[in-house]
Amino acid sequence: MKYLPFVFKHLRRNWVRTGSTVVAMAVCIFLLCTLRSVLAEVDSMLAASSASRLVTRHSVSLTFNLPVAYEARIQSVPGVKSVARTIWFGGSLPAKKEGQADGGTDSTTDWSNFFNNMGVDADKFFPMYPELTIAPDQWQSFRETRQGCVVGSKLAKKFNWKVGDRFFLESFIPPYRRRSGPFEFVVSGVYEADLAKYPGTDVSTMYFHYEYVKEGLGREIGVGTYMVEIENGDRAAVVGKAIDALFENSSATSITETEQAFKAGFIAMAGNLALLLNGIGLAVAFTILLVTANTMSMAVRERRTEIGVLKTLGFSSAHVMGFVVGEALLLGVLGGALGVFGSQGLLYGLSVLPGVNELLAGIGLSGLQLKPEVAALGFFIAVALGLFAGLIPALSAYRARITDILRTV
Amino acid sequence: MTTMVSVKDVTKVYKRGAEELTVLDSLNLDVPEGEFVALMGPSGSGKTTLLNLIAGIDRPTKGAVVVGGKDIAVLSEGDLAKWRSRNVGFIFQFYNLIPVLSAVENVELPLLLTKLSRKERRERALTALKIVGLADRSSHYPRQLSGGQEQRVAIARAVVTDPQVLVADEPTGDLDAKSAEEILNLMETLNRDFKKTIVMVTHDPRAAERAHVQRHLEKGVLLQR
Repeated sequence: MKYLPFVFKHLRRNWVRTGSTVVAMAVCIFLLCTLRSVLAEVDSMLAASSASRLVTRHSVSLTFNLPVAYEARIQSVPGVKSVARTIWFGGSLPAKKEGQADGGTDSTTDWSNFFNNMGVDADKFFPMYPELTIAPDQWQSFRETRQGCVVGSKLAKKFNWKVGDRFFLESFIPPYRRRSGPFEFVVSGVYEADLAKYPGTDVSTMYFHYEYVKEGLGREIGVGTYMVEIENGDRAAVVGKAIDALFENSSATSITETEQAFKAGFIAMAGNLALLLNGIGLAVAFTILLVTANTMSMAVRERRTEIGVLKTLGFSSAHVMGFVVGEALLLGVLGGALGVFGSQGLLYGLSVLPGVNELLAGIGLSGLQLKPEVAALGFFIAVALGLFAGLIPALSAYRARITDILRTV
Repeated sequence: MTTMVSVKDVTKVYKRGAEELTVLDSLNLDVPEGEFVALMGPSGSGKTTLLNLIAGIDRPTKGAVVVGGKDIAVLSEGDLAKWRSRNVGFIFQFYNLIPVLSAVENVELPLLLTKLSRKERRERALTALKIVGLADRSSHYPRQLSGGQEQRVAIARAVVTDPQVLVADEPTGDLDAKSAEEILNLMETLNRDFKKTIVMVTHDPRAAERAHVQRHLEKGVLLQR
């Protein structure tokens, strides 16, 4: 510890260089932590999917709906336990009051209050999701109320919604908009999830009755996705194939996959996210390793005489090596701490920034935060980068012979 | 008078590729305890090499270097570093103070290798600065000191561990006449009042005159007195 002030003093010698190296290291760790947090959240979301739940959708795109007639046919496939129709409504707050709009042509989507909202066949949908819990009286009220909806506890907290509160939603998807204006909903219940038992479960979504939108629009709207519960999760591939075979020669062919694969595919629309994010992180880390190594090499080169003097005074080669490694480690510690705090700040900012949090929730990343293990990993990488960066210059300081150094003074 | 430094039949050969260069050739030198010796000679005569051997920062190719009764030529690198920290103080021509450390911190540096407390280290460093007459400049950084003052701080650093031997490589070589005079006075004081054995390399005959003994080297051989 008595050498620490000495190491600090050397770092302050060229504070511009030290500062820029620390900032470069911090940017690297900031990126790593932030990207790893996104990946961790995606993994958590995928892990929350059940193997016994399949999703059937249009084979062309999610933007195309499947016919409602498919429900009964899917139900007839051996191994299928239950089928529930769902639509992704894409409604946003605040919307114009019911009856005020004249076709919704002039309304725009207010992304600042966007959240995930889905129309479902409640009696079939919720039994498939044992991880979602609703108080019995609220569940009963939801079933009996045409305009009723249940909202996730996180969503309810965000908008300070209580049972009985009313609000309006208007979809940005043209087929779900109506001339008479937005749809009015009433909060019938708030659902919870045991996140310890079911980590990654989304509690930021609003569910309402599929039939309410259908009736409100006065026409068939099709089905965005069919949620299919099967009797045996091990037979998912077989059942999925059997379902798709039913519609092979129809005009609306389907793709059936596990819920996990569906979510992964949804995320993969942005490309191979894990490869992309890990690739960026690795490239940045490697670059920073070179930058820091170069900084430390310069620092050691500039101080060759001092290294010679220290050794002359009786400091051993190990001592001198320790000073150089100590400086590099300190750069890592400072950069790591700054990067971790920066990432924490950004992720916190995203979680409270109006609009952004809702957008993230809309793609299932509502729980995006810096996890302690990600922060620890980031900090560890920073320290390791510092260590590796300092190792070669430290070895050269270790090997330097006093007489060689002093002769070149 | 006991012998403090004894260089016995020392040869030092440097290798430059396939070529071998004999810098010191079977050299013998005895320096009694409390002596002030000046080593003189033309450039390349081996003065600094001899000084480095006595200070334990280089090893002879052949022969023995005994300082304070210990043959330092046989010590391992680690032991030699430890020995240097306790037994020898080195004064450089260009002072070689650490620029990011204040005068007192520079002087305190060798004491980091001891078990002294922070307070004790600081007290000793201030005492050393007082001896060289720079107690009032303790918080100044090297860039805020004149050349003579820097050299005095370097001398304080050399004596702070109370070594038996001081070795000085052209200590006045980078100073004006007045500053050089001050440094030589200080070295005389250290020799006379603090009984330090001093071996000084110099080109300057006026500096050499201040030593008790002057020895001349030429082509790696010590000339007879």
